[in-house]
Amino acid sequence: MLARKMRRLLSSVLWIAVAALGAAGFAVLALSRGENVSAAWILAAGVASYVIAYRFYARFLALRVFALDDRRATPAERFNNGRDFVPTNKWVLYGHHFAAIAGAGPLIGPMLAAQFGFLPGTLWLIAGVVVGGAVQDFTILFASMRRDGKSLGQMAKEEINSVAGLAAMVAILAIMVILLAVLALVVVNALKASPWGLFIIACTIPIALLMGWWMRAVRPGRVLEASAIGIALLLGALVAGRWVSLDPTWSRWFTWSGTGLSWAMIVYGFFASVLPVWLLLSPRDYLSTFLKIGTVLTLAVAIVLTLPPIRMPALTQFTDGTGPVFAGKVFPFAFITIACGAISGFHALVASGTTPKMVTRESETRLLGYGGMLMESFVGLMAVIAAATLQPGVYFAMNVPAGVLGTTGESAARAIARWGFTLQPGQMEALARQMGEATLLSRTGGAPSLAVGMATILGGVVRGSGLALWYHFAIMFEALFILTTVDAGTRVGRFMLQELGGHVWKPFGRTSWYPSILAASALIVAGWGYFLYQGVVDPLGGINSLWPLFGIANQLLAAVALCVGTTVLVKLGRQRYAWTTIVPLVWLAAVTLTAGWQKVFASDPRLGFLSHARLVAGGPGSANAARLIFNDRLDAVLALAFMAVVLVVIAASAREWWLVLSKRKAAEVHEAPFVRSAYAEGD
Amino acid sequence: MGPRRPLERFLRALRQIVGAPDYARYLEHHAACHPHEPPLSPREHYAEFVRRRFGGGVTRCC
Repeated sequence: MLARKMRRLLSSVLWIAVAALGAAGFAVLALSRGENVSAAWILAAGVASYVIAYRFYARFLALRVFALDDRRATPAERFNNGRDFVPTNKWVLYGHHFAAIAGAGPLIGPMLAAQFGFLPGTLWLIAGVVVGGAVQDFTILFASMRRDGKSLGQMAKEEINSVAGLAAMVAILAIMVILLAVLALVVVNALKASPWGLFIIACTIPIALLMGWWMRAVRPGRVLEASAIGIALLLGALVAGRWVSLDPTWSRWFTWSGTGLSWAMIVYGFFASVLPVWLLLSPRDYLSTFLKIGTVLTLAVAIVLTLPPIRMPALTQFTDGTGPVFAGKVFPFAFITIACGAISGFHALVASGTTPKMVTRESETRLLGYGGMLMESFVGLMAVIAAATLQPGVYFAMNVPAGVLGTTGESAARAIARWGFTLQPGQMEALARQMGEATLLSRTGGAPSLAVGMATILGGVVRGSGLALWYHFAIMFEALFILTTVDAGTRVGRFMLQELGGHVWKPFGRTSWYPSILAASALIVAGWGYFLYQGVVDPLGGINSLWPLFGIANQLLAAVALCVGTTVLVKLGRQRYAWTTIVPLVWLAAVTLTAGWQKVFASDPRLGFLSHARLVAGGPGSANAARLIFNDRLDAVLALAFMAVVLVVIAASAREWWLVLSKRKAAEVHEAPFVRSAYAEGD
Repeated sequence: MGPRRPLERFLRALRQIVGAPDYARYLEHHAACHPHEPPLSPREHYAEFVRRRFGGGVTRCC
């Protein structure tokens, strides 16, 4: 009795200490003005919030809201087929789930949003994940697990109605196209005029082909072995890249322009979608998964070991919307720019994919869904730290397009001085030499500046290891992730297009019919390729128009997922807990609709698509001007279409809630029937 | 009942994390559930695995 009291007391003291640590972290971050604070405070604020949210809020969701029941057999137990339905150890599945949700998004978004200072990104990553992103992932994982692993689109159709199902499907397809375009743009900007980087990435193609052949023909199914060979070769290419960049002939071969690279990406994407999966897609997927887990762990250890000082101010003057990296005020654009890491609709696709088919016990979805997303938010915080360790002058010199900075170190220094930051003469040239690059000015897209931040942190742990090597390691890691997404995304897009097309003309829906494969692949590649190419030649830098569109699209998908989640709760009779999904839904609707509206109608031509089109139309007419005007209008139509989809899905869901709650319609839940689990203890 | 040795157990977990096929596990499952049918060869098993896992497109986040 006394022992139990002591334990409770101890536990209370412990949780108060964690809360105090987190509060201290937030206080230091919020009150710091002008002096260097340590990255330790960002980590303290983040980790303490995660731990408290997991212990209390996720537990509330698990016990009260979802009423997870370990006596109920999961699909993995009921259908255990040794293949996709396999009861899996929860920590192993956690790794699997994390590898599927994490990618380049949580690294790039916070880097771009750092133009507002480090505070908005930090706060949104922490608050967004606790109340929004982790709740979304947990809800969808729960709903899908109770429905034998059904996908988000299927659930939207069954639980809401077929209009919502169709809207979800069109939204997913549109997001895919914009996502692939913007990610490909990030890679193009990172590899442009970088022979070292391009050499490594070019090498990944033959390496993947070799692995594919090894796993299929030489040693069938030996994935770990082939991956070890692949990683060794990749590291070899990383080292050899320095030599390529120094040799005049070779470096000329691997120095490509932005437009050349974007054509190469388009051709590559087409082949990746058409070739057999064992040859290119699956080996690349394994390679990037290993690299992802390895690098994220290494970076976390390095940040904890070095605790780098933060050089970026908490807030910059650009919260007023005049930011040179991308236009728009901190509300709503910080919340659009950082999607992955805070709340990402894309996760709803993963949480309703392989993971729900592998869960052993219902209660484990708390760790997987909620806990998995907390880890992704942590990756986002690491990107904030990498951005904040850069000197602000360097950050802006790297992330602002040449149209604003000019093309020389002096012109950049003058522009940056006008904003109140400093860049020493010759500083960017010296940094570029250190990193083994020709230039680091206006290397927009976030990846190069993330690589500089990561190189500084990792190079600080292993002394004398060479910043250039770490820089290109970081570039390789980001580009490899992104290209894997491009491979996989083009293929998924192709399947969706074939399925949609099959409704119109039956033969098109046959996913293994070659004419249909070629046509659908070409259409998808042409879709994202078009936006990519326009982004590369855009005088405002492409990221300014494409990244917000991507953010809006991703948050829109999150809104669809939260609508599905709310509908499930209402139908389960848990409407008094429906605020858990409605609160983030309302916030997301406010953010996406405001941002979408501003992107279309704002009078500032840097922000509003239509006012930019008017500005161009007022200037000297040329073929170029006509193209810019067309693109602005296209982007505007797309943003309006995204907003329309959000409104349709919300309206359809709200109607369903009203019908069920007013008892006009029976609450029909499409859950699989209860089967008693053999793993259940005590009865 | 998985493998006993720590290295084997580690490799088995690693395969599951990255979503790689596990032929030994397949043989165990096959012996337990379909003892009267001959199992697939490693090559057939791998081809079948790749078709299932990647054939419909994989979902990876950004």
